[in-house]
Amino acid sequence: MTLRFTRLLTRLYPRAWRERYGEEFEGFLQRSNGGIWALIDVVQSALWERIFPTVGGKMDRSFGTIVRQPSAFVPMAMSLTALAILGGAYIFGLATGHGGLVRAPDEGSIAHIWQLLMAGQMPVLAFFAIKWLPRAPRQTLYVLALQAGAALASMAPVFFLHL
Amino acid sequence: MRSTQDVAQKQDSGLGHYSDPPLLVLASLASGPKHGHAMIEDIVRLCGTRLGPGTLYGAIARLEQQGWIEPLPPEERRRPYRITAVGLRVLRAKLTTLRQFAKAGLERLEA
Repeated sequence: MTLRFTRLLTRLYPRAWRERYGEEFEGFLQRSNGGIWALIDVVQSALWERIFPTVGGKMDRSFGTIVRQPSAFVPMAMSLTALAILGGAYIFGLATGHGGLVRAPDEGSIAHIWQLLMAGQMPVLAFFAIKWLPRAPRQTLYVLALQAGAALASMAPVFFLHL
Repeated sequence: MRSTQDVAQKQDSGLGHYSDPPLLVLASLASGPKHGHAMIEDIVRLCGTRLGPGTLYGAIARLEQQGWIEPLPPEERRRPYRITAVGLRVLRAKLTTLRQFAKAGLERLEA
């Protein structure tokens, strides 16, 4: 296989795996003859590694690594986006003289976006917990606490303003 | 390069094949340290199964995680691995179970 192609294939694996095995795996692939089954085998293994990452050896499973996983920060980003939308609507309400946020009878588009963002993060959050709790329980619990904090921060205005 | 599936198709659709990548890697390393390509060729000689690159490194990563194999210093981008004392005990236990299972199965066939 060519150097470029082996690098491309190696990049299918998660960063922690690449840092530990990337160089030797690239060398291994370069000395291989390739073939469609080898290609399928690598793609399938990389996908498996992303779903059920190998943790151990010299691979990094620190809080910093786990919190950078998309399934860790996406729920937090969704909660904060929901909070920002509420904040934006509140400021807009004040600026236009409607007195901030008021409960609309038909809920309105702001409420629907907020609900979608809060409900949409649930499967991502579940995926994160299933994937990481068995591998790095303590660090995962810290991230879950952050995610819960972001969700509660987003829910607080709804609760306290009776929206 | 032929992969596991390729070889399997050519040998009676995989009948008579044995494919448990971690066990095959352990069995290969039982005769001494080896790097990836040497393991693959050794496993082909051992049981006719040719592991694909991803399958091989998946097995290596998990065996290393369990402490059953350990890496040695790299030689020109090839990193040899060797089986640990725990790995040898695990291999012996698994092969003993397999031998008992094979013996019992064959006796049933002959009965």
